[in-house]
Order: sequence, then structure tokens, then C-alpha cells
Amino acid sequence: MELILKIAWRNILRHKGKSLIIGVILFLGSLLMTVGNGVISGMDHGLERNIVNGFLGDLVIIPGKEKSDNVLFKMYGESIDKIANYKDIKKLLQKEDYIAGFLPIGRNVAMILNEEEGDPGYAMLLGVDFDQYRRFFPNNFESVEGRLLAKGESGILIPLKHREDVYDQMNVWLIPEGSAVTDKNLSDDARKNRKYLNVKHDAVFMGMSDVYSSSDIRLPVRGIIRYNALNTIWGHFSIMDIESYRRCLGYFAASESAVKVTKEKKKLLEMDSSNLDAMFGTTDFVVADTGKADISGISFKRKEIPKTSGDVDLEDGAYNLILVRLKDRVSLNRGLSKLNRSLASANLGVRATTWKKASGFIGSMATLIKGALFVFVMFLFLVAIIIIVNTLTMAALERTTEIGMMRAVGAQKGFIGRMFLGETAILSGLFGGLGVLIGVIAVKITPLLRITSDNDLVQLLFGGDTFMPYLSLGDIAVVLFELLLVTFITVIYPVKVSRGITPLDAISRD
Amino acid sequence: MMRDTIVGRIPNMTSGRGARSRRKGDAKNIIEIRNLVKDYPLGSTTVHALRRMDLDIQEGDFLSIVGPSGSGKTTLLNVIGCIDHATDGSVKVGGTEITTLDDRQITDMRLHRIGFIFQTFNLIPVLDVRENVEFPLLLMKTMSKTEVRTRAEKLIDEVGLTEFVDHRPAELSGGQRQRVAIARALVTNPDIVLADEPTANLDSVTGAQILDLMRTMNKIEKTTFIFSTHDANVLKYARDIIKIKDGQIVKG
Ligand SMILES: Nc1ncnc2c1ncn2[C@@H]1O[C@H](COP(=O)(O)OP(=O)(O)OP(=O)(O)O)[C@@H](O)[C@H]1O
Ligand SMILES: [Mg+2]
Repeated sequence: MELILKIAWRNILRHKGKSLIIGVILFLGSLLMTVGNGVISGMDHGLERNIVNGFLGDLVIIPGKEKSDNVLFKMYGESIDKIANYKDIKKLLQKEDYIAGFLPIGRNVAMILNEEEGDPGYAMLLGVDFDQYRRFFPNNFESVEGRLLAKGESGILIPLKHREDVYDQMNVWLIPEGSAVTDKNLSDDARKNRKYLNVKHDAVFMGMSDVYSSSDIRLPVRGIIRYNALNTIWGHFSIMDIESYRRCLGYFAASESAVKVTKEKKKLLEMDSSNLDAMFGTTDFVVADTGKADISGISFKRKEIPKTSGDVDLEDGAYNLILVRLKDRVSLNRGLSKLNRSLASANLGVRATTWKKASGFIGSMATLIKGALFVFVMFLFLVAIIIIVNTLTMAALERTTEIGMMRAVGAQKGFIGRMFLGETAILSGLFGGLGVLIGVIAVKITPLLRITSDNDLVQLLFGGDTFMPYLSLGDIAVVLFELLLVTFITVIYPVKVSRGITPLDAISRD
Repeated sequence: MMRDTIVGRIPNMTSGRGARSRRKGDAKNIIEIRNLVKDYPLGSTTVHALRRMDLDIQEGDFLSIVGPSGSGKTTLLNVIGCIDHATDGSVKVGGTEITTLDDRQITDMRLHRIGFIFQTFNLIPVLDVRENVEFPLLLMKTMSKTEVRTRAEKLIDEVGLTEFVDHRPAELSGGQRQRVAIARALVTNPDIVLADEPTANLDSVTGAQILDLMRTMNKIEKTTFIFSTHDANVLKYARDIIKIKDGQIVKG
């Protein structure tokens, strides 16, 4: 072995040009591979951190009727069914020892009615018990204008991004009640139009449900928020208090059940709302009128509703999703299968899915970007492998006399093969190792540079707002393994060629 | 110069006859060739390089093979040296039938029983003189490091290159390289040393010195040498001569 390595090392020095070519390719390959892995890993990590900790939790319980698990980015036309038996599910979830916490939310789309001539806007809504929500996601967004929702208060929090969308859709610039326009937060379009800006402090939302008869409610904007991560993506989701959300979607609100509505009354109510719906379909101003009279933000059905929500159990009402956070040690897949088994045996009409599936195109885009990066790196490696194989094979053939003579003197085929393997291994250890090292250093330094982006796609690639490539020890081990694999692949053919050289080949060269 | 002093260094240079006569009595054959055929396919025809050859070579001999170009000298040496396969017939080296061995066994034969001195390209370029001579011993893995070194240095001394142990082949003259080759061929104490025109690339003076050295080593190491040559001057060094023509041994 010592002899083989000695000969291998000196051959590397003797054929400096070839060694350098192979070395540089191995160096660049390893560097790219390390950085590529760092980017992919960082993206995975970032997405997981930002989605799990800031938006969806680990698992999402969805109504059993939903065909697709992709509940986050369902098409505008389709609504998510409701979960009406939250309390039963809650009882079950509390018993599962691998679950760290859970949060029921409403999630559907509402139309924002235009009170003047013009197109309506749209809002992707999250209906939440705000206190509960903040406990589940303590730091996922911050207030940039106005304030957040108080306990039991109705109203809507609109992200910067969504406000811009609304402006684009219906030419209305929303700001929190009791505040003035904050110039620095204006979008470019809005700034151009600053003088004629149609500023509003509230809006009328009409839930878009294909099953339930939804109603329209006027809600004040309480605050403008920014999500701390992936704001360009999450920024489409506005946050509404759950009771307003339920009324907006035409669900039975918790407060209504608290009133013990009689069957007849209920019938009447439903008729009311559908009649009104039909009316709104043709005449927008009616909505505007009812709404304007009701600045407190409670719908026109408020006569039936007790003013104080303190004696109302919000959990009696309907939700659409339940976000579930697993305990640290529990793997996603194990948690999922356990939970699904429990849910199925309890026959609660819901099922669980992972955050990856629930976040639909984000997950797929991430996979796509990963796939593209992977293909790119593999392609580079293929080219590198071909060049290295070619160079090594040439080297073997050029050394036919030398190798043949060694064979004549008594070196076995294996010795020659190991000599070539040794040369490549040394090169890959030195240059590839250096590539990995510099790659790791680059990956460690990049987050400190705080490279940020506002672009949706780039944010996906970053797995967040900031470019945070990441390499765990395991990732580094994988990179080293890949380097080993590449070394092994490149050396197979040249070794085969060198082993095939006979003493006779050496002599006939003379 | 080193090359000139070598003769004087080695004792018993001229008293080698003693060894020879002693061996003659034993008459042990180190090589026995029976019915050896070597054909080379060449396009649609076949070249008959060796045609049913029989040959015995005695242990300790210093044998020259002569014959015109294309007569089969190289072919014969290659078959004996386990570098080329016989087409038919039997070849025994030191009592071992070599025509039936697989690649691993035949490589071991070359390592343990045969030494080679080629015309050119004898040495591993990246190893210095000592390392080149040590090379086969290290492949054998039977000796300790110090034993290997002692043995190699002894041979290097015998071929007169002690001053050059640290030199790489590129830093040596043609004659010096052949000396290293001789030391390397003998270091494993083989049954036979084969040399196909070992002096062809050297000037006549240097060539004579190399043959002198081979003859000397034949005497001190008591190793059988078989070499081929075109050169009539070389013949006077040989103890025995066989002539071949058209792949067959010619009497005389
Ligand atoms: N690899 C080969 N393929 C085909 N024919 C070969 C091959 N090697 C040798 N021969 C033929 O075999 C015959 C013997 O060749 P060999 O090299 O043994 O002759 P030689 O006596 O060594 O000649 P020289 O004195 O020129 O070296 C020649 O006719 C040669 O053409
Ligand atoms: Mg020849």
C-alpha cells in the first residue's frame, strides 16, 4: 500500500498537467456540489421552518370530502368544506401524546365588493381566534400600520402584499381605521396616483362558498401586517376574526348557536341571506347601504347575536382546517400515519395531511427547483466524469510501456489497478476535499451576507426572504459520499484499461 | 569511472570456471522445452514463429540465442519468460509447467523465478535506483524493510552504482540504466534472467561492459542467463550458443 501510494503520488507530480486538469474539475465539481446541496438543503430547511413554524404547522387536518390535499392554494372558484365537529376532534387530539399543539382555522376566499363602479377584489382569508392564533404562531407577522386584533374583536388584518393586490383589482387603497396613508408603504402604482387615491378604512366581504349561502359583511381594517418570512407568498392571506369569517362564509357562527336558534328562525335566517345574496348579485349599492349603517363590523344579522362574545364558545362553530404541531422527536410521516389511524377509527369525517401536501404548489415548486438544481449538478458531473475518464484513460494508455514493464517484473493486475485508483483517490481527496471545504465555508458565510429578495420564485429558492444555504453534518457526509462515488465511477474504466495492459504490450512498443 | 572499476571490484571475476565445472556435473535442467509451437495469426494467414522446438537449458548457464532477424529469438524468450503464451507444446521453468498457468500464477512465476533485462524502458521513471531495485522484493512481501534494503544495496553495489542510489532513471546514462536493470533482475534471486538484445541500444564499449557485468553476475549469483543477440562480438561472452532459424534450432 505504501509502495502504491508512493508511486501514485509521484506519478501525480510527474504528470502535472493532467493532474491539474483532473484536480481542477474535481475541485469545481465538489465546490458546486457542496454549494448546490447547501442551497437545496437551505431551501428545504427554510421552507420547513417558515411554513411549519409560521403558517401551517406540521400536519393539517382537512375535511374528509376534500379531493385534494392542497388546501392552501385551492383555485379561486372552489371552496373548502367545513369542519363542524371541531370539539370532538379536539377531544381526540388532546389524547394523542405525540401532538404538541393544534389550531383550528377557517380558510376560504371572499370577494371584496366594490362600492363604486368597478371590479370586485378578492381576499384569501384565514379565519382565526386571534388570541389562539398568536399563541400558536407567536412571531409570524408584525404590524406595520394600525394595530392587531384585540381579544374577541372583529375586523381584518391585511398584509402589505394583499393591500397592493386589492389596489390593483379595485383601485381602493385600504388603511387601518383612524389612521392616515403611510407614504413609504405605498406601492409604486399607488404612489403615482397619490393625489387621487381612493382611501378606505373598511371593506365589504362576501364569502365565496359553493355549498353554503354566504353573506356579506362590512369589516374595518384594524391593521396592515407583514409576515416575517415569505411575505410575498403568505402576504396574500388576510387574517379575519373567526366569527366574522363564519358569517361571511355563511356558516353557523358560534354566537348563533349560543342563542339557541329555533328551527323556524334558522330557516328564516337562511332564506334571508339567500334572498339578500340574490339581490346583491344585481345591485351592489344595497350592500353598501346595509354595511355603512353597521360600522361595528357585525353583519346585518346582528339583531340575533349577543353583543358580548365573552359568553360564547367560539369552538362550537365551524372551521375549515386544523393545524397540528408535532412534538420535536416525532417524524412527519410517523406523526401523520398515527394521526390518520386515530382519526379514521374515531370516524370523525376528517383526515390529516402533511404541510408539504397542504401547501400545494409551494411544495411542488420546491421539488421542481430542487429537481432542476439536481439535474444541473448531475449534468455538470456527467461532463466532469467524461472528461476525467477520458484523461485518465489516456494517461493509462500513454504509460503502456511503464505499466507493461511493471507487470513483466511481477506486479499483478490488482497492483496496477490500485495504483490508478490511488492516483485518482489522492487527487479527489486533495482537490475534491478542498472544493468541499471551500463550499462549506461559502455556505456558512452566505447567510451572514443577508442576501434578500422580494420575488416569489426567488423566495421559494431561498426558502424564505433571506438566502440561507445550510449544510448539516449529514449533508456534508452526503457530499463526501457523492465525491467518493464520482471518484469511483471515473476510475472504473481507466482501471480496467490499465489492468488490461500486458507485458507484451510494453515490449511490442519498443 | 564507475563502469570501468566494476570489474576490479568484484572478486573471483576470472575464477568463475570453478562454478561452471561444478554445475556441469549436476547437469540439472532449469528449462525444458518440448514440442513448442508459437503461431501468430496475421490477417487471414498464420505466422509460425516457433515450429516444434525442443530445448533443454542447464542451471547456471550463460546462454546466447542467435539467429537472423525474424527467426524467433524474441518469441522464444517471451514464452520462456511467461510473457507470451505457447500455442502448443510444453515449457517447464524450474520444474513448473508454465503453459497451463492462469494470469495470477504466471505473474507470480515472473516475480519469483524470472528476471528481465529489456532493451529499453526497464525502469519505473518515478522511482530512484534503490527503489527500482527494491520494487520486485516489495511486491514479494516476504522480507522486512531492512532486509529488502540490505539486499537491494548489495546488488546495487555489485553493479557499481552505489553512488547513484538516489538518482531517478532520467538522470542515468543508458549503460547505467542497464546496470540497474541487471541488479533489479537479480535481486529476487530468480531461476533465470532473460535478456532480449540487452546491448542493442548501447555503444559497443558500454555494451561490452554490460555483458561483462552479466557474466560476472552469472558467476557470483550463480543465476542462469539467457540472452539473444545479433552482434557477433557479443558471442565471445557466451558459454553456450544456440542458433535458431525459421523458428527451429539449427545444429552447431
Ligand atoms: N505480435 C506478432 N504478430 C504477428 N507476427 C509476429 C508477432 N511477433 C512476432 N511475429 C513474427 O514471428 C516471427 C518471429 O519474430 P521474433 O520477433 O521472434 O523474431 P526475432 O528473432 O526476435 O527477430 P529480431 O532479430 O528482428 O528481433 C517473425 O516472422 C515475426 O514477424
Ligand atoms: Mg527480437
